[in-house]
Amino acid sequence: MTSVIGHLTGLDFDHQYKGWMSCPPGALFEAPVQEDVDKDKKPIADNIRNQARYSKALFIWTDCDREGEHIGSEVRNQAKAGNARIEVKRARFSNTERAHVLQAAREPVELDEYQANAVAARIELDLRIGAAFTRLQTLQLQAVSAILKEKIISYGSCQFPTLGFVVDRYLRVQNFKPETFWSIKVMLQREGKKVNFLWRRVHLYDRAAVTMMLERCLMAKQAKVTKVNQKPKSKWRPLPLTTVDLQMMGSRFLRIDSQTIMKVAEALYTKGFISYPRTETDQFDKAIDLKKLVEKQFPDNQWGQYAKDLIDGKFRTPRSGRHNDKAHPPIHPVCWVSASQLNVNEKKVYEFVVRRFLACCSEDAKGQGTDIEIQYGEEFFHASGLIVLERNYLDVYVYDKWESSQQLPNFERGEVFEPTEANISEGKTTAPSYLTEPELIGLMDANGIGTDATMAEHIAKIKEREYVVVNTRGSGRSKVEELIPTRLGIALVEGYDNVVAGLPNSISLSKPFLRKEMELRMLEICAGSKTRQEVVQQSLDMYREVFIHTQRRIEMLKAACRKYLNEQPAS
Amino acid sequence: MANAEQIAAQIMSSKSLCVSSSWLNSFLASSQRNVPVSALTKTALFRVLASDIRESLTTNPTSLFPVDISDPAVQERRIPGPIPVQVLDIEDIGTSLWSQVEAIERIERGEAIRGREIVRTVNVGDDNEGAETGSSSNAPAGAPSVSGSSGSGPHRLILQDANGTKAVAIEMQHIEGISLEKLPIGAKILLRNATVARGMVLLNVNCSTLLGGKIEALDKPWKEGRKARLLQRIDSMRDEANQSG
Repeated sequence: MTSVIGHLTGLDFDHQYKGWMSCPPGALFEAPVQEDVDKDKKPIADNIRNQARYSKALFIWTDCDREGEHIGSEVRNQAKAGNARIEVKRARFSNTERAHVLQAAREPVELDEYQANAVAARIELDLRIGAAFTRLQTLQLQAVSAILKEKIISYGSCQFPTLGFVVDRYLRVQNFKPETFWSIKVMLQREGKKVNFLWRRVHLYDRAAVTMMLERCLMAKQAKVTKVNQKPKSKWRPLPLTTVDLQMMGSRFLRIDSQTIMKVAEALYTKGFISYPRTETDQFDKAIDLKKLVEKQFPDNQWGQYAKDLIDGKFRTPRSGRHNDKAHPPIHPVCWVSASQLNVNEKKVYEFVVRRFLACCSEDAKGQGTDIEIQYGEEFFHASGLIVLERNYLDVYVYDKWESSQQLPNFERGEVFEPTEANISEGKTTAPSYLTEPELIGLMDANGIGTDATMAEHIAKIKEREYVVVNTRGSGRSKVEELIPTRLGIALVEGYDNVVAGLPNSISLSKPFLRKEMELRMLEICAGSKTRQEVVQQSLDMYREVFIHTQRRIEMLKAACRKYLNEQPAS
Repeated sequence: MANAEQIAAQIMSSKSLCVSSSWLNSFLASSQRNVPVSALTKTALFRVLASDIRESLTTNPTSLFPVDISDPAVQERRIPGPIPVQVLDIEDIGTSLWSQVEAIERIERGEAIRGREIVRTVNVGDDNEGAETGSSSNAPAGAPSVSGSSGSGPHRLILQDANGTKAVAIEMQHIEGISLEKLPIGAKILLRNATVARGMVLLNVNCSTLLGGKIEALDKPWKEGRKARLLQRIDSMRDEANQSG
């Protein structure tokens, strides 16, 4: 039994290409590369080779995801170097609970070459594309501004679209122009209650038209009830927890940034408290004994009783989402741990995972909704009310809010009444707010930037590179952390957008499309429909085209940097 | 001249458009002989719809707006018509000008054209299970819709009659075919029994018939100048606000 720490090998250019001035940056798209054991991993590799010499078989227990598969293949290569006849198997598991581990040990499988190849392709592409653009822009831009003189301006095919989202929102906020709109509000006083009816048109941006519409309402004098709908309403319990959801909800409810959440979740996984935290799956496999997992939470003095009530008859089979990565179940608690054994963040994340899991196994919240629609003149208005009857999952999932509204008085369909008040209210459009981390994760997920495993790293990277800073607004519970691009960040995005402006079929590096295409090709390797070489060639061709445009129009990139970095702040 | 009368009568009966005889005569003079009347009628109608009605239609008083149609002092009146009019301008008054500008810019950047390559937006914190909370999830006042111009209207139009009189019209009820994308400048509409309130023609399904057509010479510059006009209106709005406040 021995272990590894992450990847054993690294990919790098041959010696003669390593110097920044050794070759034109564009040559890095083809320069020979070599896979070598990292210097600091040499003892680990030696150890594996040695141990292999005296062993008949190698059982690989790396994490069951793409990266884990690739690390497994590195381990195998070392072992085979020590003992060519060694038999290699890998264990398929998603948590470290005893029974699960024993099960995995009894049914080892083969390493998945496709997945390992996808990672190898990704590593090669990241190296070549990253190095080529980083060298090009660093060498060209260092001379532009004193601020950049000593700086390495790194490029990454995920980092840049991530930065692009932040800049895009920032510019939308900066450029925003407020506008006035008008609305009609109708109020009726009945049974001692004030009922406010909302306009079906919400609001319009033409005062004269709204004034005319209100006048026509008033001319009609009477409003008529056109619909009275009483119907049961429910608020659905959440779906089983995925990594992206954990990061989004976590940074929203727990106020911990996504990278920290992942670190904490990994610690909880390694200690055996929760299942593997990197998963896209939001449906539980039928084979998994959920009730048994619920029972494990009995000892808790916060939600133990809730868990008991579930087992005593309130248990419901969780809803199924549409995603299944075929590798891991949704994130769930594996066993109970006393809060006293966890640090502050671990406690928060563990509690969230447990509450979410128990909520998944609960009944939806139930209520009674009333919708009333009236016609007043030619205009329609509506009022709605809600009475929450059964809270169900809301009792344990404290993060969701669903509350009863004021109760509506009785209305009959077809009855007419004279509203107590009808008037015009005025409002203004407001600028969107700066991007927050949960929103950014959502955007990355929706646009195929990074994987659940890497999104948090990309965000951390653009902060570290000083392309983006975090600005805290408000305090206490209303505290919001906003992502604001630096001048350099804006300059890079604007520069690359200008480089491809007007060129047909060329896509800016600040947009997610190129990277998304690359990501989709990785999936094709995993599915076995494309080879590693095909994918590497196709993706390199795609980026090489942008690289050539960038070289030709490098002035645009420089101009953008001059514009933002050399401009003296107005005093 | 039997042809001219036949054609005029047919266009009148099918579309309620009273074509001016001088326009029709010059149309006939420029068209080939020996073309059957039915084909000529078709061509004539197509040309009328593509023409400026100030030149192609007669100015019969019952088919014209009252000259004081825009008088805001008149609370309500009915104009029986039928009145053929042409569209000179269309605006979506249900969407903020700025979000319309943003939508145009997205198209300029090529994001909407390449189909699947749209930066997908997300709504964090919005109830994605809106089914149960009902209408309370109405678009928050002020937040421009994420997709920019929803195109939902209602629309404000500027209409012109055969005499050149212009009037503002408000789409009170959704009318199929009235949208920024579908209704070109110069399109013809027939108004029957329309209500005019405070100087605005109220459009609804019963009183308006879309006849189609467009005036290319107006439509093209209108489209090209749309963004500039939106920006100008935003600026002038701000100037007004600064002056009054």
